[in-house]
Amino acid sequence: MKPFEFVTALSTESARELLGPKGQYLAGGNDLLGRLKDDITEANRLVNIKALPGLDRIEPGADHWRIGALVTIAQIEDHPEIRKVFPGLHQAAAEVGSQQIRNVATLGGNLAQHSRCWYYRHRDIQCLKKRGRICYAIEGDNRYHALFTGNVCISPVVSNLAIALTALDATAIVLRDGQERRMSMAELYELAWDNPTAHHSLRPGDLILRVEIPTQRRRSAYLQISEKHAFDWALVSCAAAANLENGRLRNVRVALGCISPVPHQVAAANQFLEGKAPDDDVLDHAADLLLAGAEPQTHNAYKIPMARALIRRTLRQLQA
Amino acid sequence: MSEWPAQPKVLGTRVPRVDGPAKVTGQARYSSDIQAPGLLIGMILRSPWPAARIQRINLEKARQMPGIKAAVAVQEGPRIVRYYGEELAAVAGVSRQACEDALRAIEVEAEPLPFVVREEDARKPDAPRVWEQAPNMPPPRVREEGNVDEALKECAAVIEGFYTTSVQLHHPMETHGGTVRWDDEGVTAWISTQGIFSVRDGLAGALRLDQSKVRVVTEYMGGGFGSKFGPGVEGVLAARLAREAGAPVRLMLSRFEEALAVGNRPSSFQRIRLGAKADGTLHVFDYENYGTAGVGAGQATEGGGGGADLPMPYIYRVPNRRIKQTTVAVNAGSSRAFRAPGHPVASFGMESAMDDLAVKLGMDPLELRIKNDPSEIRQREYRIGAERFGWKEKYRKPGSSPGPIKVGVGVASATWGGGGSSRTQGEIQINPDGTVEVRLGVQDIGTGTRTVAAVTAAEVLGLAPDQVTVKIGDTRYPPGPGSGGSVTAASVAPTVYDVCTRALEELQKQTGLPDVRGENWRAACKKLGVTPLVVQGRWREGLSSSGVGGVQFAEVAVDTETGLVTVRKIVVVQDCGLIVDPLTAESQVNGGVIMGIGLALYEERVMDWQSGVVLNPNFETYKLPGIADVPEIDIVLINMPERGVIGLGEPVHIPTAAAIANAVANALGVRVNSLPITPRKVLAALGKVPTAKA
Repeated sequence: MKPFEFVTALSTESARELLGPKGQYLAGGNDLLGRLKDDITEANRLVNIKALPGLDRIEPGADHWRIGALVTIAQIEDHPEIRKVFPGLHQAAAEVGSQQIRNVATLGGNLAQHSRCWYYRHRDIQCLKKRGRICYAIEGDNRYHALFTGNVCISPVVSNLAIALTALDATAIVLRDGQERRMSMAELYELAWDNPTAHHSLRPGDLILRVEIPTQRRRSAYLQISEKHAFDWALVSCAAAANLENGRLRNVRVALGCISPVPHQVAAANQFLEGKAPDDDVLDHAADLLLAGAEPQTHNAYKIPMARALIRRTLRQLQA
Repeated sequence: MSEWPAQPKVLGTRVPRVDGPAKVTGQARYSSDIQAPGLLIGMILRSPWPAARIQRINLEKARQMPGIKAAVAVQEGPRIVRYYGEELAAVAGVSRQACEDALRAIEVEAEPLPFVVREEDARKPDAPRVWEQAPNMPPPRVREEGNVDEALKECAAVIEGFYTTSVQLHHPMETHGGTVRWDDEGVTAWISTQGIFSVRDGLAGALRLDQSKVRVVTEYMGGGFGSKFGPGVEGVLAARLAREAGAPVRLMLSRFEEALAVGNRPSSFQRIRLGAKADGTLHVFDYENYGTAGVGAGQATEGGGGGADLPMPYIYRVPNRRIKQTTVAVNAGSSRAFRAPGHPVASFGMESAMDDLAVKLGMDPLELRIKNDPSEIRQREYRIGAERFGWKEKYRKPGSSPGPIKVGVGVASATWGGGGSSRTQGEIQINPDGTVEVRLGVQDIGTGTRTVAAVTAAEVLGLAPDQVTVKIGDTRYPPGPGSGGSVTAASVAPTVYDVCTRALEELQKQTGLPDVRGENWRAACKKLGVTPLVVQGRWREGLSSSGVGGVQFAEVAVDTETGLVTVRKIVVVQDCGLIVDPLTAESQVNGGVIMGIGLALYEERVMDWQSGVVLNPNFETYKLPGIADVPEIDIVLINMPERGVIGLGEPVHIPTAAAIANAVANALGVRVNSLPITPRKVLAALGKVPTAKA
């Protein structure tokens, strides 16, 4: 780790000002401190944003809920109403890291975290994502990598909450140049589809303030498969949200994680599921649509059958 | 020949670890806890190249960095480094920050060389050579008995299988390293080690000092698993830095460094043909194996035992056998001894082949073992374990469990020595107030050595274990063996018995009392007046022996849609002679099984062929079992007091992975032939993974 200044911001305006050209916002620090220690990210100043007022609240509402960017993953996981209103979000939160990590990790940090690609994270590898020449994963060990990408980098998005929030059609409110911008989850990540150096669409100085989650969909679910039973990254994750009317799905949204640089959504799959009762044939066809065009690498084709299983199981959970 | 008491009072009772409270309250001092006035931090510069000719290392700028008190090169003059992470130089300074800055300021002139890090690449004739003078893979050593080719024709069933295992890292919870201080008397080194005397001798040799000038202290250490017998490059560098700085230096490796340069278990690529007669009698074993021990198991393998050869056909007798083994060098850190070197990997290969053969013969795999295992004790253990596990009720034909989540069972076995070192010495000091101190020049690798000594002393002296203070981990105490080969308990207990027995005789003589034990103890000690009684002794014959079995049964559930394996239960049946303390013994079993689960399902060092680096030098992607991955572990220890004390730290680790792999094969009806058994490999074995792009 290289030396840096540490300052605490007391307002969002001063946070942006204090950041300067080479600063980094510090909230829970799980991702940032690791990157600083491994010389993946450089910062001359860390701006502690944990004292920013008003960003640490969970605010229920009839039409939508607001969750502040500084709310911890543990608070989301433990919130009794979230468990009922957004079970998929609860499940996604419960799968993040370990209890100790969830206690300090924040919603904003979870959404803004960088790729976990082991080439990107290696201190002595200058990969494409770090503005090097090549993506080592393509010819190397890509067992944890993406089935879809719009650029040459094949590292996938790994935020659990992004996947659940995508299915729930949440909006991120981001402070950019003094203005609050509303970004869908797709918009929050779309830059990473095209740009190999991007992890999300946030620009330097952008600050996630909160997310708004519509309560329109009464049912949601999130499932992931990891190599270990706890405290492990997802190999594939899946979230779905919908209403259920007489056993038929309405307003369905399905999203997959860890298979694309963005939360993976397929409009045709959502449309196909509309009004359907999720029986085996329907689920299989939905999986076909969701995984159409997948381009497995040398070591990650297993993610296709795994994703199919997760799609089936997650959609079935909506009926429970 | 001596004997343990027929009706022991303390031996065999559940005595909590005497140093447990010190450990959990943070009172126990590990090497990294040592404080000293003026203490500096040491850090190592490592090769960023997997192979390179080092021309020159310039330390001048680093030396002049703020807070830096010393800088040394590992070796003067040009040299070749052969793996990513090999040590180049080291600095000592007032903080980690100062050291990190100084490491960046070291100038290294180097010419990168071609390298190869994967076994399959290194085997090729045109592969870059790891060592210039020899091919990466020498011709195999061949051992042959009987007539394999003829015997193959005489079998009712022959299976052919290819079974592979990955390079496994030791990753002890406490990393390698220590704290070193120089003074007028020489060097004191608090090193995290499993062999204080081998570290002392290693340091004396490297520093060209008399052995009498080097004192090694290891009061507590956080695991070694075979990788911590010598001072290591890091220990020698710490001592050199401390000498140059004129101040004590603490140099502990980071988790990242642990993955590079301080040992590993070699991989294996085992091709097995195993044949039997119609009644299941094993008839022929045809075997080829290679694995990598990194750059080699030569001088870098402190303590030895890190080679890639496996003891085959493991626990079975096969009259006709041909065994070809070799090692393939790659540009990666060297292997070292690793908890039962060779055995868990041999067990995986052999026991997998046994189950495959049982399927072909249409036999229950347990029956096939009972038919062919020559060990009397294991025959007993199969029966006890089968009963306890419910083998008859649980065993089904492979793949016949209904539903997407399939259940399976497996069994595998171990063999190990575990005898003590006859050269172990010890002493006791009995004070006039009745307090007792037992001193032994051994160390506790984590098995409960102090407790074993306290229980033994208490038994002989007629006291309670907490009345005995046990001092270990100092080369000023009478010498004992390194903690390898599961020898420590069987070395310590007979030694303490001897020391205490002699002390009783001496105390009787000095006081004139016929019985000084138990309730007479205080009165007897008081008669010593002002001079404590110190008595020395050594390992005594007849109180320990060697040679254990061990059988484990595993039950797993495999999700055939996602590939996830869940271990539901492990039943362990293990003998270890006289059980000194069931609590510490069971603790060894738990640790061995959990480590076996790691070998079976999670652990694999991943090398990148393009850059030559270790891709998973952390606990994020080098996966170890966590508590959620640990099943019910049901332990049956067979107490055999007539055999005396035998170690069990290693045998209990051996069969776990093989039993789990067999259970997975039994669940699926197809074998995942490669460890670790990840969801990816399970889905592939089930034929569910589409072909990847060309």
